[in-house]
Amino acid sequence: MSILYFLVPLALLLAAAGVGAFYWAVRSGQFDDVETPAIRILLDEDLPPGEEQDERTSPA
Amino acid sequence: MTTSASHRPLDPPDPQTPCAHCGLPVGRHPVGGDPWFCCTGCRTVFETLRAAGFDEAYYRLRGVAERRPDPQPARTDVDALVLSEVDSAAFLEEDTQVVTPGVRRVQLYLDGVHCAACVWLVERMPQEVPGVLEARLDLPRARLDVTWRPEAVRLSDVVRWLAGFGYVAHPVRRDASARRSEAERRLLVKVGVCWALAGNVMLIAFALYAGLDVVRDPALAGAARWLSLLLAVPAVLYGGSEFFRRAWASVRRAARSRDWRRLHMDTPIALGILVGFADSTVATVTGQGEVWFDSITVLVAALLTARWLQVRSRRLAGDATERLLALMPSMARRLRPDGAAETVRVEDLAAGDRVVVPAGEVLPVDGVVDEGASTVNNAVLTGESRPVPVGPGDAVQAGATNLSAPLRVRVDAAGDDTRVGRLLAWVRDAAGREAPVVLLADRLGGYFVLAVLALAGLTALLWAALAPSEIVPHVVALLVITCPCALGMATPLAMAVAAGRAARIGIFIKTDAALEHLARLDTIILDKTGTLTEGTLALVDVDGDAGVLDLAAALEAESAHPIAQALVRAAGACAVPGTPPATPRVTRREHVLGQGVRGEVDGRPVCVGRPPWVVAQTKLMPAARASAVARFAEQGYTPVAVAVDGRVVAVLAFGDRLRVDSRRLVASLQARGKAVYILSGDHPQVVQAVADELGVPRSQVHGHVNPEGKKAFVEELRRARAQTIAMVGDGVNDAIALQAADVGIAVQGGSTASLVAADVFLTRAGLQPVLDLLRGADRSMRLIRRNLAFSLAYNLSGAAAAMAGLVSPLVAAVAMPISSLIVVTSSILQPTFRPHAPDADEAAVASPPAAAVRPAA
Repeated sequence: MSILYFLVPLALLLAAAGVGAFYWAVRSGQFDDVETPAIRILLDEDLPPGEEQDERTSPA
Repeated sequence: MTTSASHRPLDPPDPQTPCAHCGLPVGRHPVGGDPWFCCTGCRTVFETLRAAGFDEAYYRLRGVAERRPDPQPARTDVDALVLSEVDSAAFLEEDTQVVTPGVRRVQLYLDGVHCAACVWLVERMPQEVPGVLEARLDLPRARLDVTWRPEAVRLSDVVRWLAGFGYVAHPVRRDASARRSEAERRLLVKVGVCWALAGNVMLIAFALYAGLDVVRDPALAGAARWLSLLLAVPAVLYGGSEFFRRAWASVRRAARSRDWRRLHMDTPIALGILVGFADSTVATVTGQGEVWFDSITVLVAALLTARWLQVRSRRLAGDATERLLALMPSMARRLRPDGAAETVRVEDLAAGDRVVVPAGEVLPVDGVVDEGASTVNNAVLTGESRPVPVGPGDAVQAGATNLSAPLRVRVDAAGDDTRVGRLLAWVRDAAGREAPVVLLADRLGGYFVLAVLALAGLTALLWAALAPSEIVPHVVALLVITCPCALGMATPLAMAVAAGRAARIGIFIKTDAALEHLARLDTIILDKTGTLTEGTLALVDVDGDAGVLDLAAALEAESAHPIAQALVRAAGACAVPGTPPATPRVTRREHVLGQGVRGEVDGRPVCVGRPPWVVAQTKLMPAARASAVARFAEQGYTPVAVAVDGRVVAVLAFGDRLRVDSRRLVASLQARGKAVYILSGDHPQVVQAVADELGVPRSQVHGHVNPEGKKAFVEELRRARAQTIAMVGDGVNDAIALQAADVGIAVQGGSTASLVAADVFLTRAGLQPVLDLLRGADRSMRLIRRNLAFSLAYNLSGAAAAMAGLVSPLVAAVAMPISSLIVVTSSILQPTFRPHAPDADEAAVASPPAAAVRPAA
């Protein structure tokens, strides 16, 4: 049973990592709008045919 | 309009063929030809999209996620004032943020976005508009985040690009939603952290319940308890602070007023958490007795979740209010001494400045007309539906709409000093002053604390007689099991679900108390102009030959006068469906100021205008027509005579038409036993006519009431009969009455001020949403009461079990979540707000909607 002394803190560390990830997600506004990203995944990045792939502006 | 005018003689398709753009049947007069469109508008949009190379992806994505409630119709007109505002240095400075040097970010409200194709189109901006780095659309809130380089592209070009696709952008000014979403995020983090803590404490508790024994393995059991304590400390201090703070505030308030009934529902919650936590801590430190950490942490997490849901559900309403504030004109055209006009912010105007107001725009200032003659519509301010002619020397007020010709106005007051500004300021102040409303659940709070304390005392006495050593564990068990978890969640959850459902059908509920007040409502005050009526001048009745409508409309076609425009609209609407509108040819036209128009249409002399003038022109007035003129005037309408071939052949009545569902609303309200009053700033005769038509008794109808009078009326009514009063209105003139009533309801299309003042506002046209709201409020309150009753029953049985000494931490850990779960399920499953739900009482009073409008011929 003494393995618990190691496993329980490990589980807690994992939980803390999860909470940390959640905190980051909330702070970066990922829960502010939960609808548009679901739509955005349907939009492909391809330019309409006929146009060449010119300089894609990368967000600053 | 059409860009490629190819007139190939193609056979018209089947009328049921879907339009290539909107998908509706093209009908018998299609436009274009392979593909076919139902109208030139659809064709123009189609061709714009194709010219930009967007058509393929747009039509593919359009069907996705197309379920926005009542999208605002897309328009293409761009307000020149908005364009100049977004380019002004002051706007850049105050309302945009610097991302990196030379790059700025701005937020815009975007009208007309409603589906995946809109997201796709708008977010392609960086590829299409050089200088724009990023565009992100938040679809539910209709907010666009644009990052751009100010020296490469002007913001007005961005707005124009959007307008090309029918999306109208409004700048977000003095953004308060950032503060709100900050608070919401903080609460969400709390919810997440508390659930993580609660989950781990629960896992450890499982081990303890499963038989981890203090006697056989004291080290491990002790460690488990200490670990639970360690995890519970942040849950109670960080998560629970929400409840402690509010509980403490309510205790202090109760102590100050010496009224224990002022204790809030948070008080028993805080009490339960504290007692449970303290007892468990003592048990952990001494190694004796039971620990309740799992119950407490789950309780905190569950209550925080309910609270977060409630805050989030109110966000939509808050957003919508701000969005409407963005529509307020904040720019004006000032005349420089050299005669040129410059656009400045309204705050920068001083008394004595001169401003130009083109036709169709809202006056930004109070002032006196300097030059120009026009008609203005004061309906927003006074509720008067008839446009008023103004000329040099006449006073005009901010908020009125200039209808027919440009005006030059000398400024008397601008901004907050105008009459509208003062009304708005009053509304703002009153909103801050409002006494906190004690909700049903919170009223229970005080009694609840007393009952729990009494029961705790009883338990102590009971066990003092039975077994004095067991007093403390049993009293603690009682306090923990009666901690009102389900009771605390019952109201916020039901409210959050109701508000969410209501928003989906175009009803936005801003305050918590609104639903409770609405369910208790016994008096409802209706505004006339813009609420019961459509708020615009329209043809309401025709006496004589309706066939001459086309001739009269053709003659008036080019006039900007409101009556002329109403006539043209009516003639267009009356055309027999399926036949191309016959447009008579006008060969001669002469306007006579203030009287009417005469000319020649299709070779026949036609004269349209004020009856006395038309009669003077023709000398021929049949008696039936003359009596119609008198009748219309008596009913409060504006009569207009039409003479053809030197004879008065028809008399038209113009007025503010009743909405189609007004009659149903009033009948339904009266059937529910509510007292219905009508208040209006309009002429008493007009108001009376409307009231008669709706069946409202004369004693409950008042005309010529100014904004302050409406507020006084609400207050007097309350003093006289101490009722729950709702006010339904739309204008600035209703704003302070909306605020003064228990519940203010602003109808769709209402002015900004009314939306700020209202507790509930509607974004769906018509009055049906008002009925939906009342029904929904009734159902929500029934649900809340049921939730509360169940929670109380649960707490009562819990208390009885605890007094009998039957409650152990395991029992509490099982019973509390189950009770909460039942409340949650019942809240979510109950359909509180449904659009157009058939109802028994309504079926009894429903009349065909057409009956509310008089046949126009």
